[in-house]
Amino acid sequence: MTSAVTIPRHGGTGGRTAVAARARQVVKAYGAGETRVVALDHVDVDIARGQFTAIMGPSGSGKSTLMHCLAGLDTVSSGQIYLDETEITGLKDKKLTQLRRDRIGFIFQAFNLLPTLNAIENITLPMDIAGRKPDQAWLSQVVETVGLADRLKHRPTQLSGGQQQRVAVARALAARPEIIFGDEPTGNLDSRAGAEVLGFLRRSVDDLGQTIVMVTHDPVAAAYADRVLYLADGRIVDEMFKPTAETVLDRMKDFDARGRTS
Amino acid sequence: MTVLRTSMRNFFAHKGRMALSAVAVLLSVAFVCGTLVFTDTMNTTFDKLFAATASDVTVSAKSASDTGATTADNGKPPVMPASVLDRVRKARGVKSAEGSVFSSAVTVVDADKDSLSPSSGAPTIVGSWNANDARTMKITEGAAPKGSDQVMVDEDTADKHHLRLGDEVGVITAVGTHTAKVSGVAAFQVTNPGAAIFYLDTATAQKTLVGEPDVYTNVNVTAASGVSDAQLKKSVAAEIGAGFKVQTAEEAADANREDVGSFLDVMKYAMLGFAGVAFLVGIFLIINTFSMLVAQRTREIGLMRAIGSSRKQVNRSVLAEALLLGVVGSVLGVGAGVGVAVGLMKLMSLTGMNLSTDDLTVAWTTPVVGMVLGVVVTVLAAYLPARRAGKVSPMAALRDAGAPADAKAGAVRAVVGLLLTGAGGAGLYLASAADKAAEGSLWLGLGVVLSLIGFVVIGPLLAGFVVRVLGAIVLRAFGPVGRMAERNALRNPRRTGATGAALMIGLALVACLSVVGSSMVASATEELDKSVGTDFIIQSNNGNGQRVTPQAVQAVKSTPGLARVTEYKVTEADFTTPDGKTLDGTAITAADPTYASDLRVETVAGNLADAYRPDSMSVHEKFAKDHKVELGSRIAVAFRDGSTARLTVRAITSSDGVIDQGAMYTSVATLKKYVPADKLPLDALVFATAKDGQQDSAYTALKAALHDYPQYVVRDQTDYKQELKDQIGQLLNLIYGLLALAIIVAVLGVVNTLALSVVERTREIGLMRAIGLSRRQLRRMIRMESVVIALFGALLGLGLGMGWGATAQRLLALQGLDVLEIPWPTIIGVFVGSAFVGLFAALVPAFRAGRMNVLNAIATE
Repeated sequence: MTSAVTIPRHGGTGGRTAVAARARQVVKAYGAGETRVVALDHVDVDIARGQFTAIMGPSGSGKSTLMHCLAGLDTVSSGQIYLDETEITGLKDKKLTQLRRDRIGFIFQAFNLLPTLNAIENITLPMDIAGRKPDQAWLSQVVETVGLADRLKHRPTQLSGGQQQRVAVARALAARPEIIFGDEPTGNLDSRAGAEVLGFLRRSVDDLGQTIVMVTHDPVAAAYADRVLYLADGRIVDEMFKPTAETVLDRMKDFDARGRTS
Repeated sequence: MTVLRTSMRNFFAHKGRMALSAVAVLLSVAFVCGTLVFTDTMNTTFDKLFAATASDVTVSAKSASDTGATTADNGKPPVMPASVLDRVRKARGVKSAEGSVFSSAVTVVDADKDSLSPSSGAPTIVGSWNANDARTMKITEGAAPKGSDQVMVDEDTADKHHLRLGDEVGVITAVGTHTAKVSGVAAFQVTNPGAAIFYLDTATAQKTLVGEPDVYTNVNVTAASGVSDAQLKKSVAAEIGAGFKVQTAEEAADANREDVGSFLDVMKYAMLGFAGVAFLVGIFLIINTFSMLVAQRTREIGLMRAIGSSRKQVNRSVLAEALLLGVVGSVLGVGAGVGVAVGLMKLMSLTGMNLSTDDLTVAWTTPVVGMVLGVVVTVLAAYLPARRAGKVSPMAALRDAGAPADAKAGAVRAVVGLLLTGAGGAGLYLASAADKAAEGSLWLGLGVVLSLIGFVVIGPLLAGFVVRVLGAIVLRAFGPVGRMAERNALRNPRRTGATGAALMIGLALVACLSVVGSSMVASATEELDKSVGTDFIIQSNNGNGQRVTPQAVQAVKSTPGLARVTEYKVTEADFTTPDGKTLDGTAITAADPTYASDLRVETVAGNLADAYRPDSMSVHEKFAKDHKVELGSRIAVAFRDGSTARLTVRAITSSDGVIDQGAMYTSVATLKKYVPADKLPLDALVFATAKDGQQDSAYTALKAALHDYPQYVVRDQTDYKQELKDQIGQLLNLIYGLLALAIIVAVLGVVNTLALSVVERTREIGLMRAIGLSRRQLRRMIRMESVVIALFGALLGLGLGMGWGATAQRLLALQGLDVLEIPWPTIIGVFVGSAFVGLFAALVPAFRAGRMNVLNAIATE
């Protein structure tokens, strides 16, 4: 059963189309026969360009899997995923790698940085790998925005957790990817440092027109997004626009109650 | 018990990571056991051969050597008159006795004058066919030789050279050339390791080998029943009186065994030495493996400590793992050792040495030595990492476990390393400045050991510097991938240092030996250019030192285009010096006076040409000093096989120089005065000098003149130098081959380090792949890290080795090794080769890293 969710297709800033990424009837299953576990069950989703989308759901709901599939890190069992107009399902590893390198940015929960490289080297790494020269003006703007100008020569071990995540954000922004995926980017931070990082993400959407998809289970983090998608048992069960921490929390309590009674 | 269980589980959980260390232990143990089994087998083979071939009692001429190697100076075997046989037969306890003649101072050729001698350096023996031989040989084809035109050949030689019945064979001795046709083929009933044996009938053997009838080199005596060999020896000796050598079968076998045994021992200890180097290299691998395992398991160990394990228990659990590794590696190694021995035997058969697997001898000590060595070395190597594991604090369990923190090389290490290296350097300096060889060798040994340890200790510090330099030169070209490879190689200098050091050891030895080898060639070449004034040298072309017969000398002398020909003989004499001392068996060289121009020997007093005047001689400086000999001193020289001369010293030569070092000269004319013509030693060497401008034609003419004498070879200076170079080159190749084992173990070490590093950096690799590093780039990054580590080891090893080599050359300069020559092609070849070794070592780790699933990698804790 698929819950068809109506997706508003309003225009983003400067995109070719209003939709940055799409999933169509995506199924992700592990194992076979009796041990078969369905992580994603015929999911349809459109990620609007220039928007900040949060994906929420309880543990095991498939939210991380969805993000991994959208980002080309994981393969799907069936269905299609498009990045802009490119279908990425069925691409070979080489093409997928290039796609991630050139068109996608990542922020993981922890261990975002290479310990052998300093902050600025980490930030420019995707472009270095691609053999591209970073746009200096843009780079300074990004560095300025995340407030790392005086920490650029520091190694990750010399930075605090919050600073490390800010470097990760800067890295994701620096290459001007079409879309940035965050996997609980503030999961390991205290609330103040978390707020800082989320603030940057919000501003990069507002000021720079960046498209961001973030997986989180923190209602406060989700409140920074334009839109929240709720996943349960591998299906998108609800969505919310212009969320606040309270409304998100209420909705989750609602699911919990429903989950217990059903 | 819990400790053991944890160790067992850990060991089997990481069996992949342990595999390479186990292989290192296995290889080293296998080489040690292989060497032992191989040499024991050779001993067994020779023992059987000697036991089978010796008769109960053998009588030979007084001057024959114990082992029956029979060449006298005149190129013929020492013989006894046939009457001895009759006297022996009269002795009590003799069942039977027979006279035989044999000689190894022979060259045997086929119809095309190609030598039939073994290429392995084993002897060629021609002898009479006797009952004693019939005991150990079985005629498989044809019949025993009868009459002067028949010869029987051993089966191995017949097979190797495709000799058939009726084929012509030429036996060349000091007497002349004798031609006969193959009448039969006989096979050994025990393993014959490789000698080529030809049989003639007794009369023909006497005529061909000695040139006179009714003489024997040996009388083989068989004891009557109930008579022991010792009793028989006694009664035979009593019957024939003194003036003969009488040996029992056991004595003869012992003498032979001793002769072969010393050679086998040299071989055994040399091979064990190389196995030792491999062990040393293996130690680095084991230390690295355990260090990395401990580092990866820091959190787990912290937990163990937190829940109450004592330091000792943690320590012991790591050592127990090492013990397990040692036992597994050694058991497999002992088994593989037998395989190595069989492999060596097959290898020897390629060089013409036959060994049979029936004789395969595994002494009970061999597995014990292998096991003990393997286990002890492994546990000792794991001791340091185990201690480090014991020091892990319980807090480690709580800390965030990412990749282990970068290890910093400590200041203590720097100080200790620099002190050791400094001391090593000082030792090397003292060695190069030493003016006594013995003292210098001591300093050299000390310098080598200390500088090696010093380099190993400061290796991690040098790694930082060297890798940066290499990175700047090699890696920067590869952009960010190169940069990351460089940083990765730098992140754990201790590990990079130890991995590189393992490679360093083998390559240092290679570099050192190549420097010494090429300096030898260069020095000899220079000295040849400086002091040799003759064009051609004629000498025996195989190792048996066959002398040049008068017929051949005549052939040389009648060659057109020659300005002069110099005969050169060597004999022994008992010297009585003015200080009243008698020096038995001192070598003396008798040459034609023209030799003074053929070889320009520096004199410290007198004129060398005067030494060739009648009843004159020269001595060398050291001899003069030791025995207080001055110009004009008289030395009583009792020539072997001749009378005593009183020779006046008319020149004192320098003791330096490589050619003819320490030779004392007199003239052939003087020698002839005191030694009867039939006992006169044949020429050891003949020198010929062409008339001006006729060198090329004379060389061709000489070669043609000596065509009928395939036992000799003529070389001009160019060929002689090339021969010298080839010989040293062969020796070096053999040593490189043996060092390959140590290098293989070192390469395993590089593979090991990379494989473990890849596992350790799973998350980083996942991250890099996620943000767009392609598989190819990832693989390239790992390959480059490997190349940098290998080049680091090569650089250190080559530098250290060249230092050792140059010092050794300075030291050997005392013995005339004046020229230092660095063989740059070899050095550069090794350096470039190391880069390829690095690439090769990274193959599997890089492949596995590339295969890594990105999601699993980022999910790995």
